[in-house]
Amino acid sequence: MLLQNAIADALNSTEWVFALAECVHIGAFAVGIGSIALVDFRMLNLGLRREKAARILRYTEPWTVFALVFVVFSGLALFLSQAYIYRANPIFPIKMYLLAAALIYNFTVHRKVATMENPSPLMSKLVATVSLLLWVSIVFGGIFTGFLV
Amino acid sequence: MGVDRVWRDFHRVPGIEAIRVNIAHSIQSIGFLTDFSESVLAYPIVLSIHLTCIALFGGMILATDLRLLGLSFKSLTITEMVTSLRPWKHAGGTIMVAMGLVLAASEAEKYALNPFFWAKMVILGLIGVHALIFRPIVYKKTEELDRCPVIPTRAKVAAILSLVLWTGMFVMGRLIAYWD
Repeated sequence: MLLQNAIADALNSTEWVFALAECVHIGAFAVGIGSIALVDFRMLNLGLRREKAARILRYTEPWTVFALVFVVFSGLALFLSQAYIYRANPIFPIKMYLLAAALIYNFTVHRKVATMENPSPLMSKLVATVSLLLWVSIVFGGIFTGFLV
Repeated sequence: MGVDRVWRDFHRVPGIEAIRVNIAHSIQSIGFLTDFSESVLAYPIVLSIHLTCIALFGGMILATDLRLLGLSFKSLTITEMVTSLRPWKHAGGTIMVAMGLVLAASEAEKYALNPFFWAKMVILGLIGVHALIFRPIVYKKTEELDRCPVIPTRAKVAAILSLVLWTGMFVMGRLIAYWD
């Protein structure tokens, strides 16, 4: 009886931890992607036009980095809690490749073009569009991973 | 849990449960909603769009609130921050709510009994009240705010309440999934 309770408690508390990790994961990706999207919207000339993209990036980048750290670590916790399921998931590896690409892209190409003094409008728009597409595809990848678990 | 008991007692009021379950059943039996919840692809796609809107549009709300609080984006005027993002927030908010309603309606019977769903709807209503109160004195008066040497308290109150309400929406949205 005591053992049963202990096991139930452990299970319940893990469930609670899983839920919390999910909450952090979703909240943090919203902040992370939202902050990147503000720079993208500026680069696409869709808003905040009175300020340079470089300046917007300077405001948003701490939020982006902070949020992405939380996203990655909470994601890792979610993965480790059910690693065997994720390994068999057909969408999950695609999401991981997209994530790797998006992270590298964000801190190299995207950052470089956003901070350029006078980038060509076409290049700015292209870089911002690719950025938005990458991050949105990762959101879709995450949901589809969940639905196929 | 106290809240839990109140909620369950509420369901014991004769008639309430039956009315609600009947309405919920009718809603989710609407042809296209049944097709929707039975589709393998449609449900996750709509959920992904809902979440994408939360990220894009939530980021804009957060940025605007930080500007109103004077914590960031200080080189931009409040006017620029509020007016240039307004059409996107409206578009994003509309898509987000529409997708959310489809998601809820397709499982109306489950949602009708979920207290967190109703808490979320109450907060959504409060967000409407927030807009009614603060639109005329903050969001439509940004040029006046920009002329003030210090950001007026009413702008900061609007920003803090907006942060609290949207965080509440987010948390309730998550809790819906964990209640059974």
